Amino acid sequence: MTIDMKAMKLKGVERYKQERDWFQMGLNACRFMPGEEFKLQAQLLEILLDSKQVVVDCVENDQPFIGGYFCNAPELFHAMNLPWFMLMETPFLAATAPYLLADIEGSEEMGLGTDLCTAIRLPIYYIEKGLMPIPTCVLGLLYPCDGAPMLHQVIEHNKAWKDVPIYCADPPYTSDERAIEYFAEELKRMTEFLEQHTGRTLDLERLKTVCEESNRTYTIWQDYNELRRHVPSPHGWEIGGAQAFAISQCFVAGDPKCTAWFEQLYRVGQMRIERGAGASEAEGWREKIRLFWFDIMPYGWIFEFMPWLESTFGAVIVMDMFGNFPYTLIDTTSEETIFHDLAKRNLIDSPMIRQARGTAENFSNDIRRIVEDYKIDVVIWPGHMGHKDGAATIGIMRDTCREIGVPFLHIGLDLFDKRYTSIDEVKEKVTDFFKGMGLA
Amino acid sequence: MAVFDGHIKAVRDFMRSVPVTDDLYQEIDCSGTPEEIRSSLPINLGRGASSGIHLRSNTYTELGNPIAGSCSHLLWTNNTSLVRDGRITLIGPDIPASEGESLPFGQILMLAGETLGANDHERLQQAPIIGDRIEGYMLKSTSDYLWARVSKDVAARGFNFEILGKSLISLIKSRTPGISAIEILFVTSSKEDVKELASIASEVKGLGSNLLKEAWKERGFDVECDFDCASCHDEPVCDDIREVIVGVKKAAREKRKAEDGKAVEHPIPFKLNA
Repeated sequence: MTIDMKAMKLKGVERYKQERDWFQMGLNACRFMPGEEFKLQAQLLEILLDSKQVVVDCVENDQPFIGGYFCNAPELFHAMNLPWFMLMETPFLAATAPYLLADIEGSEEMGLGTDLCTAIRLPIYYIEKGLMPIPTCVLGLLYPCDGAPMLHQVIEHNKAWKDVPIYCADPPYTSDERAIEYFAEELKRMTEFLEQHTGRTLDLERLKTVCEESNRTYTIWQDYNELRRHVPSPHGWEIGGAQAFAISQCFVAGDPKCTAWFEQLYRVGQMRIERGAGASEAEGWREKIRLFWFDIMPYGWIFEFMPWLESTFGAVIVMDMFGNFPYTLIDTTSEETIFHDLAKRNLIDSPMIRQARGTAENFSNDIRRIVEDYKIDVVIWPGHMGHKDGAATIGIMRDTCREIGVPFLHIGLDLFDKRYTSIDEVKEKVTDFFKGMGLA
Repeated sequence: MAVFDGHIKAVRDFMRSVPVTDDLYQEIDCSGTPEEIRSSLPINLGRGASSGIHLRSNTYTELGNPIAGSCSHLLWTNNTSLVRDGRITLIGPDIPASEGESLPFGQILMLAGETLGANDHERLQQAPIIGDRIEGYMLKSTSDYLWARVSKDVAARGFNFEILGKSLISLIKSRTPGISAIEILFVTSSKEDVKELASIASEVKGLGSNLLKEAWKERGFDVECDFDCASCHDEPVCDDIREVIVGVKKAAREKRKAEDGKAVEHPIPFKLNA
């Protein structure tokens, strides 16, 4: 039986259009709201909407675009004028996706194991149900976890996707110079693959310009993070880390619009510090516990948990895994230096990749550094059910925290599915822990 | 423990051979207890000494912007004769002569203590993380290099590499048990010099990782993960469980199919829990 690929492609972008329209409503609302913070949110939504619209346009006009990941050196896509979307995008937008739980249930009904990371299960479900845009080609992910390649196996077998070419850069296990040089060659091969399958070419001067803009973006991010060292931190879970990660790596990397967003973020943070404001400006509120949330934010139930942390305990997420800044700036002297530094950034620096792909010392070293720099009172390892790689280092993380004298809490939950460990149970564990440690 | 002794010697060779004029080469010696050193300084040291934010607009000199060149390594030994306690060497321009500039920055800390061993490696890595303990000196929160700002306020009080070196010596000696000697090399002469210094120490990270791995093994952590399904004695149990799951799912699908009167869309064509 032949399938109507054009119809499949148009179907694949329907959900995407709904999401676009949903965010457009949010943008319209933000534009009417006063204050610099809403201006920041509006800028974010404009970037997000642009990135969605361009994918829709590509589908409707039969133009090339790609499905990939944040750690596939997105500066290359931008330099090649190749729109892209992240294959695991929806779980990261989960807090605003009203259909999330229904989709998770749908994935279970398909027979996907509930022990498979929800962030991987969902895109499998979307591909199988025809709810994801079908790109010109796919850049796969062989790291940081073994679950991700399962998504690519689905792509290879799905009727609508099976002819979409896939390239996966091969990640070495080590993090030394040899590993970086090897991965730089992999990124070059990835570029050749993209040129072959999309017809777009990479212009080195254009790449240099994009990387220089990317450097400007990252430099401001670094400066912004220094603001979060301030006591009280100018922002908590609501503004900062997760958005900074998304803006720098998930939409259009190395674009002046992204730099402008970071400039506004910095301005907003600085203004809050100048007027002595912390993460919350509720009357009588003050920052009491500075937290390091060492994972992705709990996007599936973030609104039901994070405000509670702040209001009940004055506990503020000062730093999280995706807000941390271990990034290499790109040396744009030559093609070699650009690919070398892109390789380092995408193999070693990117969040989650940095920790879960590499050796366990990245977990312990990051804890040591972040606790000291950001005056952290408690390290929380949420223990996401999909992060089995990280689960292997819980003992090392706990030992490290004991040595440096900071309490360590391991919860055990699903960051996207609030049924795995109920929110009440998570709250109870956190409450008991804070009380037991004399913090509340 | 001679793991880094060769690197200490190589750093010393670098110090002898680096092509700079005499006015760009300074050696300073400091002595005394950590407390005596601290009290001799025109700045505050200790937790909270550098509280607040050092904005770009308030920066006198930036050090180690990765574009300008940056490297940082900590080398340690139990051979105390290899480390000249209290010696601070600066190769390149000093901070007072660099207002508004972004200098390349290499920092090598050489620590010695007779009792130091492999198990101390992890805690020694904490030594250069000084947080907010040096007034007017902010280390950005980066992982592989040093990127710092010196504020205009402390620059006006004469902050230079002698003060920075003495501050580090005082802080590290007071916070890190087992250290009897500290020597510091700062390099600001050029990006190339910093790169050469980085290449000398390029093996340090890998050697350190091996030390950590051994230390964790001794503490009972299994860091090798040298087993898989084929070598696991529980494999037959897992296989049985998988078969049961497949059966249960198949039965559920059949039941649903019968109830709905329609086929399940696109059954997954491979074993998901493999």
